[in-house]
Order: sequence, then structure tokens, then C-alpha cells
Amino acid sequence: MADETWSDLVAVADLHANWVTRVDLGGRAFAVYDAPSGIYVSLALCNHGGADLCDGYFEGHLIECPLHQGAFDVRDGRPLDTPATRPMKTFPARVENGMVQIALPARRQRQ
Amino acid sequence: MKPIVTPLTQALSEGKLTRDELRDFMVRSDGPALRLLFFWVLVLLATGSLIWLAWDSWLIWPAMFLHGIVVVHHFSLEHECVHSTVFRTRRLNKIVGTICGLIIILPFKHFRYEHCDHHTYTQLKGDDPELIEMPKSFAGYLYYISAIPYWRAKFTELAMHAAGHLTEAEKRFIPKVEYGAVIFEARAMLAFYAALFVLMAATGWWAPIWFWLIPLFLGEPVMRFVRMTEHVGRPTVAQMRDNTRTNLVSLPWRFLCWNMNYHAEHHYASSVPFHALPRLHEKLKDHICVEPDGYLGAHRDILRQLRRAPHG
Repeated sequence: MADETWSDLVAVADLHANWVTRVDLGGRAFAVYDAPSGIYVSLALCNHGGADLCDGYFEGHLIECPLHQGAFDVRDGRPLDTPATRPMKTFPARVENGMVQIALPARRQRQ
Repeated sequence: MKPIVTPLTQALSEGKLTRDELRDFMVRSDGPALRLLFFWVLVLLATGSLIWLAWDSWLIWPAMFLHGIVVVHHFSLEHECVHSTVFRTRRLNKIVGTICGLIIILPFKHFRYEHCDHHTYTQLKGDDPELIEMPKSFAGYLYYISAIPYWRAKFTELAMHAAGHLTEAEKRFIPKVEYGAVIFEARAMLAFYAALFVLMAATGWWAPIWFWLIPLFLGEPVMRFVRMTEHVGRPTVAQMRDNTRTNLVSLPWRFLCWNMNYHAEHHYASSVPFHALPRLHEKLKDHICVEPDGYLGAHRDILRQLRRAPHG
């Protein structure tokens, strides 16, 4: 964690409750999931077809790509169903003072 | 990963649809599909009974044709299962989709992956693996509807897969880890049909031929006729509002095709289940191509374009 820095991403109050919310930060799009066991964050674009996962169907811990219906587990990014076969990029997330924060590599954050 | 702007993202950004509305449309439930499947089985029993009643007369042929129209529409259910939207659980979608694929000789996994590229490259010649080309002549139009080219392509595909061969195009849309599964699926399907024929020959029980396979081949031209209405005659461009046609058809046809007549809406948001497509249509109808006269209107459009096209 020494090489990572926590960054504010979005206020919890601005999240779509029990759903996925798209947030742009530093030129990158993130998907923030309000899941039954907490808040999780991944890159917003599907690593299979490049569609925006934030437009997809979200239930439990499963996010489904809106284009090809591939699916991922938002907790760890592992693919749950094809055509998605590679884990999606997820980020450590926490809530501090009403803000969702994610841990980004320190070097990237300075850019 | 190169980002792509899906029609859905575009519709959301243009305000044609709000995120809350989309969320509401996408809700998955088993109820609507189970209710429809109940009536589906009743209709299959009814049209199958007509074959039985017409057994000793020439009327068996129109009866098998009518039954075949229902049988070939297992394609529509399989298609919905490909999108994992019929039932709430993905496993149930796969089971039902695989059964439908077995009934109409269309392996589920292969169709699923092929269909992915159809949604990515809709109507783009050379990229859309399901593209049905605009016929060049009236004879070509009738030839496509005969389903002869369809069956030739499908049987060739099945034989190639069973032999362990995938084309270069297929290797692009099938995930590498699934090559083996697609090949196994083709072999399993051929083994199933071989076992069925052995069973029929051994027992003299030929009912599957009369109540399933002949109706399937008699009915397939109707499915070709229906499938042509989705994109044929629309521009071969990437814009969804242009390249796909929604056809307003009567309740029996909507029942048979699991609301897939709302085809432009389906392409806009393929995560929306069949039962929500009429509601999505109300939101998008001013932004898409709608054929008010249904399948016949679409074919009138296709034939009109065919007449205008330069010959030779």
C-alpha cells in the first residue's frame, strides 16, 4: 500500500443506490458499485468489447456488459461468464467522511 | 482497450433514455418467461395435435407447416437466452438456450459468440457474421427464403466444427478458451441426432420425423422471411437508428418471436429482457426505424428496393 495514495472519487450520496455509477477521474472512467457487501470500484470499460459497464445490468456482485452480456464479479474483477475471459481491473476502495476513495498507484496519481 | 460508444451509451447521453428508466427496463425475472413458456407448450401441443388429426390425409402437410412455424421460433427463445435475459439466472438461460439449439440444430455456444459480433458490427459487410445481404434479384430473394442457403451454411458449419475446424473469422469472435467447447458442442449435437436416428430405426418409432424434423425444415422459410425484416434493406452503416428495422406485428407473431420484432430497441439495449421491449419501444420509437405494416411491410420495402436496383 506504500506505493498507493487514496483519492476522493465520488460522494456516497451521489451514488445510484444498489446500482453502478460512472465517475471520471484524471482522464479515466471508473465504475463504482454499491453492492450488498460494500462499495467496489473497477475501470468502467469492459476489457472484452470496450463497452461502458456502467450501462450494464448489475445484481448482487455481478456486473454484466451491456454489449455482449459477459459478466464479472465486482469484488475481485474475476470473469463470471464469457465472452469475458480476463479479470477486469479493480481498485481498493473505502468510504471516508462520506466520500468513496480509491487507492491509485502513487506515480499515476502525480501525472 | 479501445472504448466504443454503444447505441445505448449514445441514447443515454442524448437523453432519449434516462439511467433510471434503463435500470427499470433491465430488471430480470423468471415470471414472464415461465408464463409465456406455459402457453408456448400449449401451442406446440395444439399444432402437434393437428398433425395427428390429419395423419391419413394430405392435410398433414399444411399441419406440419403450421407446427413448423412454431418449432422454428425456438430460435427466438434461443436468441433471448444468448443474451441471458429470459430468466434471472444465467445457468437457466444456458440450459433452455441449449435445448432450443438442439431442437433447431443451432448450437448455443457458437451462436452466442457469433451473435456478439453481430451486435458489435451490425450490418457492416465483412464484419457482421450474421449479415443477410440484400438480394440482387427476385430469384435470389426467393432462394434465400427457401432456406436452402441457410441449411447448407449451417450443416457445413456443424460438420467443420465437429471435425475440429474453426474458420479464421470464428477464431476472432470465439474466446480462445472456448474453442474446445464449441467443437465439443458440435460433436455432441451430431451424436444426439445420430442416437435419435438409431433409436427410431431400432424401434420403428418415427414420430420425431413427423412432429419435429419435417416441420422444422418446412417452417424454416418462415424464419428466413422473418429474419430478413430485421436488417435487410436497411443501410449497411454503423448507425443503429438506420441499420435496423423494428416491425409492428400482431400479438400471435409477437408471442412467437418473444417480442424480437422490436429489433431496433433490442439492438439499442440488448440487456433489456423481451417482456420490457414494448415499453422500451415507447421511449425510442421516434429515434429508430419503425415499419408500421410489420413483416409484410418490410418485405414490400425490400422488394421495392430490389425493383429499383440496377440489374446485371
